[in-house]
Amino acid sequence: MAELATGPTKSGRRASCVKREADSRSASWRALARGQASDERQGTRDDSLSFGLYVHVPVCRSKCRYCGFYSLPADRVDAPRLVDGLLLELDRCERTGFCTAYIGGGSPSSLPVNDLLRLVQQVRRRCLPAAEFTVECNPGQVDAGFLEGLRTAGVNRLSFGAQSFLARELELLGRGHSVEQIGAAVTAARRAGFENVGLDLIFAIPGSSPADWQASLDAAVALNIEHVSAYSLSFEPGTVFEAWRRAGRLAAVDEELDRAMYEWTIDRLERAGLRQYEISNFARPGFECRHNLGYWANRPYVGIGPAAASCLTLDIREGGRRITNDADIERYLAAVESGRPAPAQTQVVSPDDAVCETAVLNLRRRGGIDLAEFRRRTGLDPMRIFADPIERYRAMGLMEVTDRAVRLAGRALPVADTILCDFSALD
Amino acid sequence: MKIQNIRNFSIVAHIDHGKSTLADRMLELTGTITERQAKDQILDSMDIERERGITIKASAVTMEYEHDGEHYMLNLIDTPGHVDFGYEVSRALAACEGALLVVDATQGIQAQTLANAYLATEAGAEILGVINKVDLPAAQPDLVAEEIEHVLGIRRNECFHISAKSGLGVKDLLDAVCMLLPPPADRSDEPARALIFDSQYDDYRGVICYVRVFSGTLKTRQRIRLMGTGYTYQVTELGKFRPDMRPVDELGCGEVGYVIANIRDLANVRIGDTITDDVHPAPDALKGYKPPMQMVFSDFYPGNNTEYPRLRAAFDKLSLNDASFTFVPQNSQALGFGFRCGFLGLLHMEIIQERLERENDIDVVQTAPTVSYEILLRDGTVKRIDAPSELPDRTMVAEIREPFVKLEIITANDTIGGIMKLAEARRCKLLKTDYLSPTRVMMVYKAPLAEIVYDFYDLIKGISHGYATMDYEFTGFEAEDLVKIDILVNGTPVEALSLIVHRSNAEPRGRKLITKLRKSIPRHQFEIPLQVAIGGKIIARETIKAYRKDVTAKLYGGDVTRKMKLLKKQKEGKKRMKNIGAVEIPQEAFMSVLDTSE
Repeated sequence: MAELATGPTKSGRRASCVKREADSRSASWRALARGQASDERQGTRDDSLSFGLYVHVPVCRSKCRYCGFYSLPADRVDAPRLVDGLLLELDRCERTGFCTAYIGGGSPSSLPVNDLLRLVQQVRRRCLPAAEFTVECNPGQVDAGFLEGLRTAGVNRLSFGAQSFLARELELLGRGHSVEQIGAAVTAARRAGFENVGLDLIFAIPGSSPADWQASLDAAVALNIEHVSAYSLSFEPGTVFEAWRRAGRLAAVDEELDRAMYEWTIDRLERAGLRQYEISNFARPGFECRHNLGYWANRPYVGIGPAAASCLTLDIREGGRRITNDADIERYLAAVESGRPAPAQTQVVSPDDAVCETAVLNLRRRGGIDLAEFRRRTGLDPMRIFADPIERYRAMGLMEVTDRAVRLAGRALPVADTILCDFSALD
Repeated sequence: MKIQNIRNFSIVAHIDHGKSTLADRMLELTGTITERQAKDQILDSMDIERERGITIKASAVTMEYEHDGEHYMLNLIDTPGHVDFGYEVSRALAACEGALLVVDATQGIQAQTLANAYLATEAGAEILGVINKVDLPAAQPDLVAEEIEHVLGIRRNECFHISAKSGLGVKDLLDAVCMLLPPPADRSDEPARALIFDSQYDDYRGVICYVRVFSGTLKTRQRIRLMGTGYTYQVTELGKFRPDMRPVDELGCGEVGYVIANIRDLANVRIGDTITDDVHPAPDALKGYKPPMQMVFSDFYPGNNTEYPRLRAAFDKLSLNDASFTFVPQNSQALGFGFRCGFLGLLHMEIIQERLERENDIDVVQTAPTVSYEILLRDGTVKRIDAPSELPDRTMVAEIREPFVKLEIITANDTIGGIMKLAEARRCKLLKTDYLSPTRVMMVYKAPLAEIVYDFYDLIKGISHGYATMDYEFTGFEAEDLVKIDILVNGTPVEALSLIVHRSNAEPRGRKLITKLRKSIPRHQFEIPLQVAIGGKIIARETIKAYRKDVTAKLYGGDVTRKMKLLKKQKEGKKRMKNIGAVEIPQEAFMSVLDTSE
C-alpha cells in the first residue's frame, strides 16, 4: 500500500483543493486520490466520492469444505501478531474518510474478541461518521458480550454466514455451527442494538431437494433480517468439495434444478420484502450493502491483509491499477513487520478496460447501468460504445432499455455471463 | 561457368523420407552453409513447413562443387512432398534436367514416391534412385532396391545407398549428380528466355521471381518483358540463392536464380510465364504450366465483417506465393461477405488457413470443404458449381455429375480387408491389385473425390496403423444419383451447411449431421431446433436445449480481475463463431458437415 501513503498533507494544499472542487469534477477526483474527503460530505451517505476499506482476516476455526478463499486454521495462527500486522499495513495507508468498511474472511469472529476489537477500533477511526461498517461472523462464534463489544466499537452491520437451515447440509458443508445457533445469533445481534443484519445462504448444495431449499429460505425470512446474499454453490479449485466431485463422491445439482432454485429465491425473498438489487443480493429498501455497491459501481477501495485486493482506479477515463496482496500469511507478516509494503501483484487497468469493468459490474446490479452516472464517470455514452450487444439482447428480450438505464431483463439473470461477456472488451 | 558444368536437379520423395535432410547435407558438403549455420532443414523457410515437417513450396539454392578437378554449379530446386502438391512438383521439375528419387530404406516405395516418379518421367528428367536411412536398424535396402526395380524399372544395382542424417554416401551422390545427370542444353546464342517457376512477395522490393534461364542471358538494368501478360520492367537486381540472396550481374543460360524488377502488382506475374528481352524478344514463350485444377472448395469469411479488406489483401499476398490457390468474392446471406477459395486438396486448404491466421492475424470462419460438380441443365447446357448452394432449382437439373479420381493405395497385405471395407462404403470401385512384394500391395480404385477428400486418408492411416499411403489423380466427371441436403438452424436454412450426397446415403448422412451439429453448437439463451430437409421436405429434427444457468454467483472486489479475464475469453470464443439468425455457430460446426465418422 506504499502508493497510498504518499498523499501530501500540508493544510494549505488541502484548502486549495477543496476550493477548486466546486467547479471542477476532476479536481475532486484528484483530491480523492490524495485521500481527502470533502468536508461537506462527511455527514452524508453519498458514497460516490469516497473509498471503501476491506480488511481480510485469513483465519477460520475450521475450513469449510466448499470454500476457496484464503484462510488458515485459527489454532495455527498467532492472532495478536496477525492483528498487529494488519494494523501495520493499515498504518502505512494515510487515507482516512472511508465511506464503508468491511471486515471479512476467513472468519473474523474466530479471532479472540480483544484482538478483533483492536482491529475494529482502528478501522472505525479512519471512517466517516456515517460510514457503513460490516463485520462477517460465524453464527457459532458469537455471544451477547462479543456482539455488544462490536456495536460499542462502532460496527453497525453484521453479516452472518448461515448458509443453510438444514442440519444435514451444515454438516456436509463443514460449517461448524448448528441451525439453532443461527437464530440465536440474530436474536443476540438485535439485543446488542444491530439494526442491519444480513445472512449468507448457499443453494444447489449436493443432494439438496427443492423442498430443502424452500425450507431454508422460509427459515431465513422468518428471522426478519434486512439482507440476504444467496449464492449457488460452485466447486472451487483446491477445495474438498472439488476433490470429492472429481472422485465421484459428490454430484453437482443439475443445471435445471439450480436454475429453478435461483428463481424461487428471487420470488420468495421479493415476496418477503427483500428486493433483489444484485444478481445474488437482496435487501429491504435502504439496507443494500453500501460497501458491495461500491464494487459494482467500480468505485475505488483499499484492501488490507493477505490476499486482499485494492482498486486504485480513481478516474475511469485515465485507467488505474488493481493491487492484489499475495496470500501467504508468513511472507505478509514478515514484510509489514519490517516496514515494507505487503507483497503484492499489480495489474495496470487501461482506460478501455476500466470502462468495460464498469459496465460489467454495473450490469450485475438490478438497476443496471445508470446512463447519466456512466457518462459522468467514463465520459462515454454506453448506448454508443455497447450499441451492438445492447441492441441484440434487447431484441431478444434479454435486456431492458429506458431513457435512464440499461439493465438485464429478469429472465436474463440466470444466464448473465453469456451476456456480460459481450461487455468485457470494446471492439 | 561452362554450361557443361551446370546441373539443375530436384529431390523428390514421399513425405518424411528425408528429402530436406539430404538437402541440408548437400549444402554443408558443398560449403554453401556451415554446420553452425545449418538450422535444421534450411529450405523449409515457412514456420508451418518446419512444424509439420513438410515442404509446401518449391525453393532453390545454388551450390559450388569440385568434381574430378572440374568446378561445378549445382542448382537444387526443392519440391513439396505431399499428395496435394503434385502440381508444384511438376513446376519445379520443369526447371530441371534431373531428379533424385529418395526412398526410405525402412518404409519402401510409398504412394507419393510413385506419383513423383511419374511426374519426373513426364517432365523428361533423368532419375537417380536413392535409398536413404540405410544405417537404421530396421533398414532393408536390398528389399527396397528390389521394389524400386520392380515398380519403377530403375536397376537395383544403380541405386545409391545413403544416410542423409549421418552424411554417409552423400558425397558419392554429389559426384553422381555431376557424372550422371545431363547438363542444360546450350542455347546461349538465342534470345533470352527464363521460366518463372516460383515467386515471392517482399514488402520492400516487390515481387521476387524465381527463374531458370533456358536460353540467352539476363543482365541487370536489362529491359524485360513478361511474355504471357505483356508487362515490361527494368531489372534492378539479379541474384542467386546461396542460400541467402546474393546479387550477380548476369544469369547465364542454364542457370537458376532470382529477378527483381520493381514489380509492385502481384497480379502481373504468373508462375510459368516466360521472361524475355524487351528489345530482342524471343519468338515463342517456353512451354508453361497447365493451370492447376482446384478440386476442393471452401468459403472463408472474416470473423469480423470489418476485416473484409484485410482478408482480401491477405489472399492477394498468399496467391502470389501459391499459384495453385484461387479465390473469388462471395456473398452469403448467412455469413456476409467473404471468398470462395479453391485448393488442390485438403492439406493445401489447412495450410492456407493457418498461414492466413499466422501471417496476417485474421480470424476466419471457414465452411466445410466441398468438391466441384458439373450440372447438366434441362436445356442441355453444362454448368460447373463449386458449392452445394449454387445448385440450380431441382426442376431445371437434368443430371448432377461428380468428379472421379484414380486412387492408388499402397499398404501391407494384412490390412487390405479393412481398407477394402472402407473403400466400398465410400462408393469406390476396385480396378486392380498389384503385389509389390510378398507383403506389400498396391490397390487401384476408381473413387468419387467427394468421398475421399475429407477424412479418407486419416482413416486408412488408422486402419493400417500408419502404414498405408495414398495418392490420386483426377480422371473426369460422371453422372450419379445425387441430391442436396439442406440444414435449417432455428428455422433458417444455412447454405454453408448444405451438402450434395448420393441418394442412398442422404437420410443417414442428414441425421448424422444434425446430431453432430447438436454437439458442436453451444447452448444459447433459447432453444434451437435443427432440421434436415431433402428436396424441401423435412426428414429429421434435433433440438439444442436452452442454456439453463451461466452466471457467477459472487463478484466482489477481489474477484474482478479473474472474472474479467474469463468473460473476455468467453467473448473471444464467440468471435470465432458466425451469428446466423441470433444463433452463434462455431467453426467446427461448419467443418462437421463432411465428417462422416461415428
